[in-house]
Amino acid sequence: MSIYLPIAELSVNIFLLLSLGGVVGFLSGMFGLGGGFLMTPILIFMGIPTNVAVATSANQIVASSISGTIGYWRQGLVDFKMGGVLLIGSFFGSILGVWIFSKLIALGQIDTVISILYFSLLTSIGLIMLIESSQVIRDRVRRKTVKRKIHYHNWAHKLPFKIKFYKSKLYISAIPPIIIGFVIGILSATMGIGGTFILIPAMIYFLGMPTSKVIGTSLFQIIFVTALVTLLHATTTFAVDAVLAFFLIISSVIGAQVGVLAANKLRGEEIRALLAIIVLGVATKIALDLLVEPSEVFNISVIRALF
Amino acid sequence: MNLRILFFIKLLVLAFISSASALVIGSDEEEIYIDANFSGKNLLVFGAFYSDPSQSRDDKSDILIEVVGPSEDVVVRKKESFFGFWLNSKSVGFYDVPGFYYLSSTNEITNEFLNENNIGLLNKKDTQLIDWSALNIDWGNIKNEKDKESFYDALIRTKESEDVYRKVNGEIDIIDGNLFRSYIEIPNTVPVGQYKVNLYLVIDNKISNEYSYNFIVTRVGIEEAIYSFSKNYPLIYGLISLLIAILIGWSGAEVFKRFRKV
Repeated sequence: MSIYLPIAELSVNIFLLLSLGGVVGFLSGMFGLGGGFLMTPILIFMGIPTNVAVATSANQIVASSISGTIGYWRQGLVDFKMGGVLLIGSFFGSILGVWIFSKLIALGQIDTVISILYFSLLTSIGLIMLIESSQVIRDRVRRKTVKRKIHYHNWAHKLPFKIKFYKSKLYISAIPPIIIGFVIGILSATMGIGGTFILIPAMIYFLGMPTSKVIGTSLFQIIFVTALVTLLHATTTFAVDAVLAFFLIISSVIGAQVGVLAANKLRGEEIRALLAIIVLGVATKIALDLLVEPSEVFNISVIRALF
Repeated sequence: MNLRILFFIKLLVLAFISSASALVIGSDEEEIYIDANFSGKNLLVFGAFYSDPSQSRDDKSDILIEVVGPSEDVVVRKKESFFGFWLNSKSVGFYDVPGFYYLSSTNEITNEFLNENNIGLLNKKDTQLIDWSALNIDWGNIKNEKDKESFYDALIRTKESEDVYRKVNGEIDIIDGNLFRSYIEIPNTVPVGQYKVNLYLVIDNKISNEYSYNFIVTRVGIEEAIYSFSKNYPLIYGLISLLIAILIGWSGAEVFKRFRKV
């Protein structure tokens, strides 16, 4: 059974969409990742135009991050003030990101730039996950306990515009979170990701936030960044596909909840290693598309038509 | 249905008028609706040509059916290798090219004939270069004639692979020597808008008579409603998309909260 996507202007199998959303949702629930970094490239592989894949992913992440935030908020693990300061940066970052995005569409380079960005991102995530999970598995075999060291770079204390973040027990300058938010905003708008895997380490290592509050706070700010990105794309690139988003949201929200349940019962390291391999596989496919000589070197795009 | 009745009236009228040759056509559709389940349609075009009975209909009299879709602007880009990466580099803009083009004939038609009569897309002449003046083209920084042709060929090739440009012959049925009928395949990838059907009666390599009519391709259904809404009210569309995301995300968390407590 296939369904016609009005904005992507093509038909796709409905079960393929639901399983994509379900699997990505499951992984994001299990590992606390947004999942946009897998969703967008797989949508592109399915033949969905790059701009539609990016804009629609952003819309889907709004739903999954709301779902996630509620859980953390109930446990009091969201620092709203820090989220707000991050958002100031994200606001300007996503506006710049969507502007860059539409310029790249006009130049005909959007596919290439997105491919290169995704390749770099997925390769680094995949390698980090693979190394981390193999170390954990190895340590478990040797019956060692894993020690984690966290380095606090407290240069954030020396900058001006210092603000008290009571929830995170921090008294730091507003400049680093604004810059981090700005970068996340650009990435979110151009790649259709929430940016958790960049945001979380940045908040821990650069801002020195307590680990317990990091995930909830990052999810909280991602709701607003991706919401803004969705609106900006809907009004400038017209690339948000509501039908595609609907099916991805339904399946990913269910998948995410199942993933959270599974995370409490399963040992995650093997699955994490598997995810790392999937991520590296996607990265390889993207690299091949960039490096192998295409069978048709010409491509056409309609820039004006009646609608 | 009205068209058919009209067609037979025209046919009757024609039978009483004596002229060297005449042409009359009809079609079964004035409007084609494309919805989500549309998988293409065969548009029926039928008609009659009347020739002076004292003249024998020779083999050189041909029927040509041309269907031209709404115009669009297209950018053709060429990928080139930069340090191992295949990136879009040179581009050419073709303006006001038809989004759909179909040419059907009873016999093979020469490019010379088409060029002389200004029918169809640009055709390559064996000895001469293509005359680009008929098209509105932004060549960018491309000057070489061979490169120009490669871009134009790529445009035609891609449109042909999408089934929106077609050139066929022998698909017109001639019945009783004076009646003809043809099914034109309209794939579901066609652009919406007004289409023009041109019909030519060709005798001795000259157009002896021609006739034209229009039909419209429209998209219908919920998908079309969503598409036009997203273009006409982008902000409201974006807000609704967000609202759906918020509601489903929220209710997902609420529904599964109970499971987690168990």
